[in-house]
Amino acid sequence: MKKPKMQQQLIQLGNGAHALATQMLGNGDDAADAVHDSFVKVFKKPEAYDENKGPLTPWFLRVVRNQCLDLIRRRRPTEDTIDELSDSAPGPEASLEIIQRDQELRNALSTLSSAQREIIVLRDYMDLSYAEIASVLEIAQGTVMSRLHRARMALKEVIESHE
Amino acid sequence: MSNTNQFADQHVGDQLSGFIDGELTQQQRQFVTLHCEVCADCQENLERLRALRERIGNAGLSEVGEDKWRETMNDPTVELTRGIGWLLFIVGMLIIAGIGLVGFLFSDGISVGMKLLMFAIYGGLATLFFSVLRQRLIERKTDKYKDVEV
Repeated sequence: MKKPKMQQQLIQLGNGAHALATQMLGNGDDAADAVHDSFVKVFKKPEAYDENKGPLTPWFLRVVRNQCLDLIRRRRPTEDTIDELSDSAPGPEASLEIIQRDQELRNALSTLSSAQREIIVLRDYMDLSYAEIASVLEIAQGTVMSRLHRARMALKEVIESHE
Repeated sequence: MSNTNQFADQHVGDQLSGFIDGELTQQQRQFVTLHCEVCADCQENLERLRALRERIGNAGLSEVGEDKWRETMNDPTVELTRGIGWLLFIVGMLIIAGIGLVGFLFSDGISVGMKLLMFAIYGGLATLFFSVLRQRLIERKTDKYKDVEV
């Protein structure tokens, strides 16, 4: 794939990758660093991506996910990410109602396991197909639907219990 | 047993998510549709899951924006060109300095004192250069992200 085309696709993937990294790492700043470092890694070695082996989106999200996992491994085990995750605030341009609704959603997401948050972001926020999700998470495609359903039901219950 | 009872008997569970996401076969889709027509619980679940999916899709889970990523994207290029620029500059300067130094040291018209003074200045510059180089190499070795595989 030519570099400008790859760059354009990666720019469009930035926000989704950031949302995924935020759910994994617990705060937006670390997530932005992880996405930035993933860009750097990719452009240092662009030939690592083989177009014949699949689309760019799941491949790049796997790079971001590995970056996040590496950061998590390096963190101290006592470090808690859940509180930070629920405190991350949206930008000032959003209306108060949207801010509140998004905050509720973030709070609810923060009660789920990391695996559940990841799969919800990949499907419902990034709109990836089950095959692409399986590729990013490195799980069997048949596992995606059941894991996603359990995650959605858990999130639904948390949200409904607060309404 | 009537067809209606057959569809009402078993809840569709995971398939509700597959149905919303368009990931079921035609047969499975038909089954979920018929089941939801006779099962109020699954119909309600289906609607709530759809609403939840839409809510997540519209949520501001990342507020960074494409401009930020565009800037970020340019970083590797900037780093590379900056590296090449510095390399060319340093190599050019070293060659010029080397030629100048040889000419200077073997020149008969300059006193030994002046030669030593100039040697001290160049020696100082070289020491500073190797000090910065050493620091950069240490930083590179301790880069906390270097182990991540692309």
